[in-house]
Amino acid sequence: MTIVQTQLPSGLSVIIEEMDHVESAAYDLVMPGGFISDAPAHVGASLVLSELIAKGAGPYDSRSLSEAFDGAGIRHGEGTGMDRFTLSGSLVASKLERALELVSHMVLNPRLPAEDIEPIQSILLQDIQALKDSPARRSMVELTKRFYPAPYNRSSLGDAEGIRSVNRALMAEMHQKFFNPCGAILSVAGKVRAHDVLRVVEELFGGWKGEAVVLPEFGSRPAHDYYHIADDSAQMQVVMAIPSVKFSEDLYYEGKLAASILGASMFGRLFVELREKRGLCYSVYARHGATNLYGTMTAYVGTTPERAQESLDLLVGEFERLRGTISQDELDRCRTNLKASLVMGEESPGARAGSNATDWWLLRRIRTLAEINAEIDRVSIEGLNTFLERHPFRPCSILTLGRTPLSVPSTIIGK
Amino acid sequence: MASSYHKKVLGNGLTVLGETNSSNVSCAIGYFVRTGARDETAAESGVSHFLEHMMFKGTPSRSALEINLELGNLGAQANAFTSEENTVYYASVIPESFRAMQELLSDMLRPSLDPGEFDMEKKVILEEIALYQDRPHFYLFENALKDYFGKHGAGNSVLGSHESVSAITQPQMVDYFRRRYSPSNMVLCATGNFNWDQFVADAERLTASWTDESTSRMLLRHSGKTSNVRYQKKNLNQCHAFLVSEGPSAQDPERYPLAILATIMGDSGGSRMYWELIDRGLAESASVDSDERDGCGCFTAYVSTTADKLDEVVKIARDILASPKNFSDGDLDRAKAKVVSRIVLDGELPMGRLMALGMEWQYRKESTPLRAIIERIQAISRSDIEKALARFPLDTWAEYRLLPS
Repeated sequence: MTIVQTQLPSGLSVIIEEMDHVESAAYDLVMPGGFISDAPAHVGASLVLSELIAKGAGPYDSRSLSEAFDGAGIRHGEGTGMDRFTLSGSLVASKLERALELVSHMVLNPRLPAEDIEPIQSILLQDIQALKDSPARRSMVELTKRFYPAPYNRSSLGDAEGIRSVNRALMAEMHQKFFNPCGAILSVAGKVRAHDVLRVVEELFGGWKGEAVVLPEFGSRPAHDYYHIADDSAQMQVVMAIPSVKFSEDLYYEGKLAASILGASMFGRLFVELREKRGLCYSVYARHGATNLYGTMTAYVGTTPERAQESLDLLVGEFERLRGTISQDELDRCRTNLKASLVMGEESPGARAGSNATDWWLLRRIRTLAEINAEIDRVSIEGLNTFLERHPFRPCSILTLGRTPLSVPSTIIGK
Repeated sequence: MASSYHKKVLGNGLTVLGETNSSNVSCAIGYFVRTGARDETAAESGVSHFLEHMMFKGTPSRSALEINLELGNLGAQANAFTSEENTVYYASVIPESFRAMQELLSDMLRPSLDPGEFDMEKKVILEEIALYQDRPHFYLFENALKDYFGKHGAGNSVLGSHESVSAITQPQMVDYFRRRYSPSNMVLCATGNFNWDQFVADAERLTASWTDESTSRMLLRHSGKTSNVRYQKKNLNQCHAFLVSEGPSAQDPERYPLAILATIMGDSGGSRMYWELIDRGLAESASVDSDERDGCGCFTAYVSTTADKLDEVVKIARDILASPKNFSDGDLDRAKAKVVSRIVLDGELPMGRLMALGMEWQYRKESTPLRAIIERIQAISRSDIEKALARFPLDTWAEYRLLPS
């Protein structure tokens, strides 16, 4: 495995991983921006933009661009995330040059046709409407709205008014501002030769210019609370969010492993206590997510209304019980699992291109598997307890979506 | 990639298949059981899926908790699924854990079906049924296919209903297990970086006590039907429509041209449905699939949109479905390129190969190398599609809609 990293004079970081045991390749082009960068009057405009760049670029109109991708069998996607725009694709390795050519047109010379804006808006508005038919997803969107400071609390679907406000001039302005090489990362992995890829990238992206985008600051979080949203769904959704360690902080892997001890499917404490021993739910989990700005522990359980209070009480009880009760067996199991999933993740070019881009985004360098394994091996029970002491479970935010509100002790939400 | 294919039928009737590839970092292993909702009697509706859950709930030598903890200790990415005609137990592991995973899975496949665990897991299943009630498109697909296939059984509900699952007893499940989990009704399959000889020797040892019983499945022909059914759901925001016509079975040679036709008509991007419905901002989703099943099949189309656009969207979808020969040579070439690329990419990972290999054996008792499948797809011509359409003309459609009440 060889990884080559370089930066073009324009500021574009290029990472190429040569993988010999595969026939395919994948790319990820990441540019800072995303829906937190939308102006307050245009929340969701970034979602329209990532659709619109596929509606014709350079010498291709909308249909011929789509046909060019399909003709080469390139599976591709263009999307807007919270803090970035991403263009990604998977393909048979011999088609990489073709894929990068098409991507360069979408990024450098999109046509942004005015007549395609209205249909895109219409679909995005339907997505917002459809969220109401999807209670589990909706509960997370609603909790995000209340748990994070603006603009980090925005829905990944945008808002209807912001989407309706989009016009051609706004799209051109946003493209100019956000689609630029400063801070952008192009990550390629697969059966490729780095020097060949680099030559192509320099040819295609050499003339790309622009100024760095500054992402919004992460302000202070709103006070914790308990929220209930009335809905007549068959199951009640119970979601919980707790502030945790950032990616860049020392106790990051302690946070990740603590979440796994509680929330891993099949062997985590929540699964065992709520589902296996009591049959209260089908889906229950806890997860740890972190960026350089914040970290969050999230927990979820979906259950029928008459069993929701018992489920919430048990969920809370397991969080309270964690500190001081973790066994070496539990830690070792979660460690083995995390390490095995990292090894298996090495296998696919798509996963490698994605994880190299993420490493570069967060750290400005690529970690080796040995380095990550050493970090995971370093975690001790003492370290886990330190993490739990510094990032206590109380106070936290809780949201339920379903027929009736539940009883949540004020001490849990810090009131 | 240098991969080699192996097969052996054990004395107890269990077929063991493998594709070894030493350049893979991981391996995948799975038991494929030829049983599902269509093999249930009305009184057993939901038992196949319920039984799949019970496989994780203890054996004579392991408790449910021990199974869960062991899966964790092995670092396995393990799961199972049940469909109308297959139940599959599978795991991805690193090579060092392969033998232990094979031992664990083989033990799990001879479960205790303890009455206490049975009662507890029934509650989980009822929660799962409630969860799917909150997913409108799932509700529509399940009810539509049940209506379309009717007594034939290929569209039986996998989850069963709250009532049917509540009524299932532990002895009924024991009886179903005995009838369906016979070694000759299963295939054990592995792919990736593992040792074939060791795998077969272990399989022989681990399944030595499994006794064979004869199993069968009703394989009736099923012709399409017309139908026009409206389902309603309170407070529904998006509307959904699902159309079903007769398609090729998983054994029918016409499945290749019709799968390409489905890609031309309704792939997620660049298809006729995409340009007419999604690109124009009319429908949030629009797709066409060839759903090949054991001895029968259906060709389906699905759209979702707002209530005010539903009639127009269904009309456009029906127009596209009514003119299946309306495509260019370029459309055909692009559809083939997409399908081939998908096969290559999915085939690179042991889990992708495991599913392809196991399912192909279950349906056709054969194993086709990737290269041969790709060549077969690349050779498809317009006249192959026209020939397939002569047998499956896609001119009779059953239509199902889910609307707000």
